[in-house]
Amino acid sequence: MFLLAATKSRPVFWHFTTPLKVLWYVLAVLSVLVFLYGVARPIVKWRRGHGGPWPPYPWRELPRRLATGLRLLLSHATIARRDHLAGWAHRGIFYGFIVLFAGTVVLGFNTDFTDPVFGWNYFHGNFYLAYKETLNVLGTVLIAGVLAMMVRRALIRPRKLDYARPDRNSDDSQFDRRVYEVGDWAFVVILLVIALTGFVLEGVRIAMDAPGYAGTQFGGWVVAQIIGGLSHSTLAGLRHGLWWFHGLLAIAFVASIPYTKAAHMLTSYLSLSLRDRLAGKRLRAIPPERADLPAGYGALSDFSPLHLMNLDACTKCGKCHEACPANATGRPLSPRDVILELREQANHAFTAGGIGGVLGGLINEQANGDGFTAGVIGEDGVRTETVWSCMQCNACVEACPVGIEQAPIINQLRRRLVEEGELDANLQSVLQVIHKSGNSFGENRRKRGRWTQELEFQVKDARKEPVDVLWFVGDYASFDPRSQKVTRALARLFQEASVDFGILYDGERNSGNDVRRIGEEGLFESLAEQNIATIEKCEFNRIVTSDPHSLNTLRNEYPDLGASWTVAHHTTLLRELIESGRLDVKGRLSYRVTYHDPCHLGRFNGEYDHPRRILELLGCTLVEMPRNRDNSFCCGAGGGRIWIPDTPGQERPSENRIREAVSLPGVELFVVSCPKDVTMYEDAIKTSGNAERIQLRELTELIEEALVPATQLVPA
Amino acid sequence: MKIVVPVKQVAALDEEFELLDDGSGVDPDFLEWDLNEWDTFSMEAALQIRENADGDGHEVVVVTVGDEEAEEGLLSCLAKGADRALRIWDESLQGADVLAVAKVLAAAVERESPDLVLCGVQSSDAVYGATGVALAGYLDLPHVAVVKGLDYDAAQATATVERELEGGLVEVLRVEAPALLTIQTGINEPRYATLRAIKQAREKPLQVSDLADLGLEEDAVGQAAGSRAVALKPPEPGEGAEMLNGSPAAVAARIVEIVQERMSG
Amino acid sequence: MSGVLVIAESRRGELREVSLELVTAAREVAEAAGGQLKVAIIGADAEQVGPQLGAEGVDEVLTVTAPQQHFEAHVWQKALEALIDSEQPSLILAGHTIDSLGFAPATAARRALGFATDVTAISWADGPRAVRGAYGDKLHSELEFPGKECTLLTVRPGLFSPATPGEGSVPVRAVEANLENVARTEHIEFVEATAGDVDITKAEFLLSIGRGVEDKDNIPRFEQLAERFGATLSVSRPLVDAGWMPSARQVGQSGKTVKPRVYLAFGISGAVQHLAGMRNADTIIAVNTDPEAPIFSVAHYGAVADLFEVADELEQALG
Repeated sequence: MFLLAATKSRPVFWHFTTPLKVLWYVLAVLSVLVFLYGVARPIVKWRRGHGGPWPPYPWRELPRRLATGLRLLLSHATIARRDHLAGWAHRGIFYGFIVLFAGTVVLGFNTDFTDPVFGWNYFHGNFYLAYKETLNVLGTVLIAGVLAMMVRRALIRPRKLDYARPDRNSDDSQFDRRVYEVGDWAFVVILLVIALTGFVLEGVRIAMDAPGYAGTQFGGWVVAQIIGGLSHSTLAGLRHGLWWFHGLLAIAFVASIPYTKAAHMLTSYLSLSLRDRLAGKRLRAIPPERADLPAGYGALSDFSPLHLMNLDACTKCGKCHEACPANATGRPLSPRDVILELREQANHAFTAGGIGGVLGGLINEQANGDGFTAGVIGEDGVRTETVWSCMQCNACVEACPVGIEQAPIINQLRRRLVEEGELDANLQSVLQVIHKSGNSFGENRRKRGRWTQELEFQVKDARKEPVDVLWFVGDYASFDPRSQKVTRALARLFQEASVDFGILYDGERNSGNDVRRIGEEGLFESLAEQNIATIEKCEFNRIVTSDPHSLNTLRNEYPDLGASWTVAHHTTLLRELIESGRLDVKGRLSYRVTYHDPCHLGRFNGEYDHPRRILELLGCTLVEMPRNRDNSFCCGAGGGRIWIPDTPGQERPSENRIREAVSLPGVELFVVSCPKDVTMYEDAIKTSGNAERIQLRELTELIEEALVPATQLVPA
Repeated sequence: MKIVVPVKQVAALDEEFELLDDGSGVDPDFLEWDLNEWDTFSMEAALQIRENADGDGHEVVVVTVGDEEAEEGLLSCLAKGADRALRIWDESLQGADVLAVAKVLAAAVERESPDLVLCGVQSSDAVYGATGVALAGYLDLPHVAVVKGLDYDAAQATATVERELEGGLVEVLRVEAPALLTIQTGINEPRYATLRAIKQAREKPLQVSDLADLGLEEDAVGQAAGSRAVALKPPEPGEGAEMLNGSPAAVAARIVEIVQERMSG
Repeated sequence: MSGVLVIAESRRGELREVSLELVTAAREVAEAAGGQLKVAIIGADAEQVGPQLGAEGVDEVLTVTAPQQHFEAHVWQKALEALIDSEQPSLILAGHTIDSLGFAPATAARRALGFATDVTAISWADGPRAVRGAYGDKLHSELEFPGKECTLLTVRPGLFSPATPGEGSVPVRAVEANLENVARTEHIEFVEATAGDVDITKAEFLLSIGRGVEDKDNIPRFEQLAERFGATLSVSRPLVDAGWMPSARQVGQSGKTVKPRVYLAFGISGAVQHLAGMRNADTIIAVNTDPEAPIFSVAHYGAVADLFEVADELEQALG
């Protein structure tokens, strides 16, 4: 029994002298200390941000958040999204690493705790065999994952891994970020070497000890077949050398985790756990204690700890770089590069504090060094044109596998730029116009309800009588002549279906969604307060809006200012009306169409199905564009970009989108459900020269078209 | 150094509007109030001079003649960086003409004894283009009208200015402070006042004075007035576009005719 | 006090056209006002240009010789005050020009004159009456000047047809004024505007084109048409967005707000944002193929026509 047990195990320290053992333990403890210091460092750094609470969420939420983060991590859902190869390769590395790491812990627990303390040694017998089997399988998986990543980096070279910065010229020293590539390669190569030396060490053991169970250690067995011919002394030397090499590499790796790309094991997991489900959809108000300070982020000390932590969480995976419509159309913006630029600045500023600063910072919140109060925006930092290129479409936040808030961070930078007057002159005058007249068209507020005059019936004034549905119309739908046609069509559909609805007429103001995304927080508050005061006085059951931008802010942002209403998009109500038969339009059309998800309806509010279901009910055949649903491509109007002139000669996001649509075979109609989309795409269809190939329809217009034959069926 | 910037809260007429029954003015329901566009440039010019000047103790004071509506414009000036504001109002100033307003401003500006007075060239509602120079007349200050370029040397207390003449011609001239300049649009890029800054500007000093506070007689406004409005009327009606019909040649001929008629002089 | 006094203007030795327009305007009220119609010219060149001012209906030409070569507001102000003292007119007409705006209001203030600027019509009914625009000329305001012995009006240029210049038959008299050491500004130089930098907000006549021109290649012909017409070319947003024209030329909410005397729009349908930038033009002429184009709602003259055909004919007509 003893013999058998003895053979199905291995000596942990094979022929080690005591000093060597001591050295090993000293090094291991040192490694852990270095690791712990590395963990403490960023925490101190994050606390130097004063723009938000620390901790970002109450401590009591932490366990639940960490559990949620762990579930997401184990599933790899966010990592594998839109990139299955990277997903599988990362799974291999992740699970391989975790299990090998756990294996070492299990061994250490035996050798350093249960055996010396209780005399209980479980590291033998069937347990040992199962242990070897598992570690061999997962070690192989790890190697496969690492190799796949290497192939991806070296041969496939996806666009998102190109670190060239769109916000720098190619002759700029900061342009290509070669240092990052060195770090990336070092990381995968070290992982590979650790895994491989483990197998080689195992192979040497097998070759020397020739145990009878080599089959469970297939990795080592393969190596043993190769090196079996070597002399015992060579093998013994190899065994010693390899043990130390593998061991030192492993503990050095552990020590280096917080300082290298490997830090993402900690920071990304934390960031993912602290992810805000409303990030970008609900921008954060200025904290009351900062009311008298300049708004937004001008220096690192203005950042919230959460956002500073976000910076450290970035893995440079490039998912945001790939999803960004500004980047896709040649603008000087990549959300990834904004994050990395800020991270570099934060690390540079923080390193200046030294070890004393870190250890002191653990005890007391530290005073800020100069680096933290220096400006982050500028020629050598995040450039203003980069900040203004953003459409605040949230594609980056949506794509980020680790919960980084790129768009909200950019929004904070904008708040500061607006305050400093660093904004486009046109944008500035639009803000003044909105402040003055309550709408972006500079029209007299009395004209907001003017579109109703061409209707054959009176639209109720929701301020004067109770209604079931309070229709918040929005600026574009109220004032833009093209969108007014859609607005009237929607009113006729409501009337046809006997919906009891009313509007606010001149009481309605610009909802402020885009004003807030421009970064004019004070104007947003003022608009929201005015709208809330008006709506609070009305009697209604729910709010319906035909404008996804208004929908977003009314639903997600107004509650912070005291509103609590049910807010629906008109497509929700229209679907109800069609399904319940109040609008008799089923199966009347047979167009082949494609549908564009508005950012604020889809990505911001998760509403993808109502418009599609309506198209299906109408009898249309929907052909999806490659970028659909949560991966929908911004029309270019968001974040105030609709008011900033585009650089001449550059492809506009809307044109890029129309090209995507016309590449679909046989599609006749480009269907939208947002007034800004109507404007942007009507334009883009013409400017991209596709007027002959595709036409724009607002979903409402299609429904009305389907309704007309229905009424003709019944003679008056 | 002290710069006084007189500003005006102007009314813009809505596309459709109604006159008061007695014909004396426009029904206020149809007016939109805003700070005069020209004054945003003179304000900016003042702020830039202060920011570029060495040392402390420089002051930009914004002054207006107007009722409470006008405070909104003052607040935006304070939000942009003016140090304090003065609003002058008296019932007798209702409908006051350009000379009367200049007279009242003169009393206020005199007390400030500024180095520079920067006015807008004109207001967008009345379009007299005369308040600034009339004010200079009352104060006997050196003045230059329609300035589109301004370089102020605080040490020498001398302004080198560009006066914008018709047809794109520019005259460069020099004037010593104290002086009054009327500032043309486009001379700079007026800064943006955020809503937060406007709210915070409520904390800055804003003084309200009446005629007596300025040492003016009760009937000073009537005394100084240069004119009296008898009637306010819409111009001869021209509802909608007059359609030019006929062949392209006929249309072209009419266009040439209309253009020549309108551009003559 | 009686009579009408016209303050003529010259620049760099040349009589400015507005001077003769003022003579026409003055003639219309001179009889009712009673007294003589005199025309005064102030400047170093007063004696050279003086004779041209002796147009029909002018009783006397007055010259005030200034020590400065060029206009100087304070000198002119003093000269005007000397003229008021010596001639005692009941009505003074000056041009609503940059130079006049530089000194006339100061004189009006100092001498407590009846006063109005940018006057578009003058009449006489027991004293002068004037009409001027209000709210961007959307309204006309009628003014009287009660209790004023002398009234100074600046008259909008371009409204009255200029009188034929005189040939020297009208007597010219030099009026003495002590103008030494009166100047308070120092002339440095005149600078001609560079042709390259276009400021469409300052243009009096804009020829504006929109999406109707269809192709980038069609733009040069409209540039030429504008040049021949004496207009400045401006555009609507789509052409700027397409990269066909620089944004400095863009009219509209996101471009420039313009108020030219004439706005001639070709192929612009008139999005709200565009209309916001040009609706205050004095005269708007729109050519568009779409009779429903919103631009017709703000235009004073409209033509539903093919813009290229009209452009062809315009090129012909302008030779």
